[in-house]
Amino acid sequence: MAEVILKRLVKSFGGVRAVDDVSLQIPDGEFLVLLGPSGCGKSTILRSIAGLEDATSGEIIIGNELVNFTDPARRNLAMVFQNYALYPHMSVRKNVAFPLETAKMSRIDVAEAVNRAAAMLEIEDFLDRLPEQLSGGQRQRVALARAIVREPKVFLMDEPLSNLDAKLRLQTRIELMSLHERLGITTVYVTHDQIEAMTMGQRIAVLHEGRLQQVGPPTDVYDVPANKFVATFMGAPPMNLIDGNLNSDKSKWIFVFSDYRLVIDQDQMQINEITLGLAEGVVSLGVRPEDMRLGPSDGDGLPGIVRFLEPIGSDLYVTVTVESHSVQVRMPPKTKVAIGDQVRIEFDLSKAHLFNANEENLRVQKG
Amino acid sequence: MNTSSAVDHTEPDSSHYKRGQARYLLGNRVRALIAYVILLFFVIFAVGPVLYLISPALRDSISLFEYPPKLIPDEPTLDNFRFLFGSTRYLSWALNTIIFAAGTTIISLFTNVLAGYAFARLQFPGRNVLFFLVLSTLMVPVAAVLAPTYLMVREIGELPIIGRPFFGLDTYLGLILPCTVSPLGVFMMRQFISTLPSGLYEAARLDGASEWRILFKIVLPLIKPALVVLGIFVFMITWANFLWPLVAASGDDYRVLTVGIASLKGQFVTHWGVLAAASLMTLIPVTIVFLFFQKWFVQASMAGALKQ
Repeated sequence: MAEVILKRLVKSFGGVRAVDDVSLQIPDGEFLVLLGPSGCGKSTILRSIAGLEDATSGEIIIGNELVNFTDPARRNLAMVFQNYALYPHMSVRKNVAFPLETAKMSRIDVAEAVNRAAAMLEIEDFLDRLPEQLSGGQRQRVALARAIVREPKVFLMDEPLSNLDAKLRLQTRIELMSLHERLGITTVYVTHDQIEAMTMGQRIAVLHEGRLQQVGPPTDVYDVPANKFVATFMGAPPMNLIDGNLNSDKSKWIFVFSDYRLVIDQDQMQINEITLGLAEGVVSLGVRPEDMRLGPSDGDGLPGIVRFLEPIGSDLYVTVTVESHSVQVRMPPKTKVAIGDQVRIEFDLSKAHLFNANEENLRVQKG
Repeated sequence: MNTSSAVDHTEPDSSHYKRGQARYLLGNRVRALIAYVILLFFVIFAVGPVLYLISPALRDSISLFEYPPKLIPDEPTLDNFRFLFGSTRYLSWALNTIIFAAGTTIISLFTNVLAGYAFARLQFPGRNVLFFLVLSTLMVPVAAVLAPTYLMVREIGELPIIGRPFFGLDTYLGLILPCTVSPLGVFMMRQFISTLPSGLYEAARLDGASEWRILFKIVLPLIKPALVVLGIFVFMITWANFLWPLVAASGDDYRVLTVGIASLKGQFVTHWGVLAAASLMTLIPVTIVFLFFQKWFVQASMAGALKQ
């Protein structure tokens, strides 16, 4: 087991910076999720830690040891690939035993370790089958067994659930978490699925275009996204953004959007005076769908017209057109509302965010 | 379930149905007939010459030239075969050919796999340029490099220690080694190896396997069908090779079948019957080899299905 530290990691392919100056500290035993859309560099970071890619610059430290120039095999980590990468011509037993046999472990020790790993992942019944004779979920377990059998210091997982169907994914998610709980091995988990990230990660590192956007516990990242990208990437449907202006008016700060005026409450929104002063001008107001509600048409909320209704059983998503913006509001399923209704959208200021022209959240960050 | 949707449950018009069926089946048969006629035409060209060898092999020299010619001899005889085994060094040529073909096959599989693996998997400077160079040698005709290769083998053969009796003209190694690197083989192996998912190499690397272990434990078992196919190709090409053995092993002790058979053609008299018998005998081993490994050929042609 070991701590993993990335110091100013850069990885370029040709002229393209796939990973751009990423620094991360992953304490011993943590389950960290690298989250981002495809092409954000999350897999490249994982592969750099594994040693499958050479870092262009920066340091990779595993358990107090600089491993930039250490062979992948010597880094003592195990990786679970998206397509499992099981050896198709070897039985499950041989697959799991392969790393140990490569390490020239004695035959008795290999058999023992394989059996232990097989028992832990409940794959004893098909140890003598070939990978092609297994279902996706079973292959996944075999890949995990091959990873844990060596007792690695660090676990790397590259979208291990993306080839499973929805139900199996849910189940495997829980199993992965309990596996981590039992073994306590530092785990770096790559995914583009924010639900996976929210449910599994002790901390989430959000990446975009090779840059680290925000790192923190899932709820912190969700509640106080560092910037517009994180705000819209985390959450489905994403946070609503309204582009407007931030003006000062007689010692008060006001968000102006067309005829709509919102007085900024600095305490509720946790924004300090200096930040507001610096952000004066073009800003965006951000509120999550679940923090909004439809108010009466004579209220003082954001005015708009109901465009679509999406009942999903547990909730009703109402799409409201607010001038050029499309705003989604989550309402209880039985809400009385019809397409074409004039509505006013209300929300709590404590749940509202302001993003400056650089797309940064003005709210004081947690932690 | 909602079953009220409008489906016509009345009987279909059976005469109309049958007419359609008849037309459909007839169409199928006509198409098949056309296909077989075309196939047969090519089969005649492919198999005809071989079958045509059988007849003279079973005749004596006199009935060979009777007019009008007959395909089936009146008095078939095995004299030609007797002469072949009794009065020529046919068996020695056959043994030399087996050594030549088998040796070339084994060594060239090894070299082609190594080169193919390097071109497919390893990153090294000049990789693409080198690969292009290897491929471009495909364009060079064999006859063009015959003389230089001959000179090289001859000169190296004269060197102390590494030269004769191990290497040089009229030695097995001198015969075999120049045939063991084929650009086509390198190309084929590279293509096959690059179809394997890269995740397998990466998993194996993380599992601590060296390049050699990856090659032998992961790659070779997975490209077995391709190895067999390449092996058969090399074996058959080598078996039928004439030009190189003609110049490299002209002496009697190292003569191979192709060269030996050609030598049966005398300056004044040619025993066509013996020639035909020898050619026929020479075809048999390669045919057996092919039939034996035929299953693998089919497998390799489905190599696209070589996923995990």
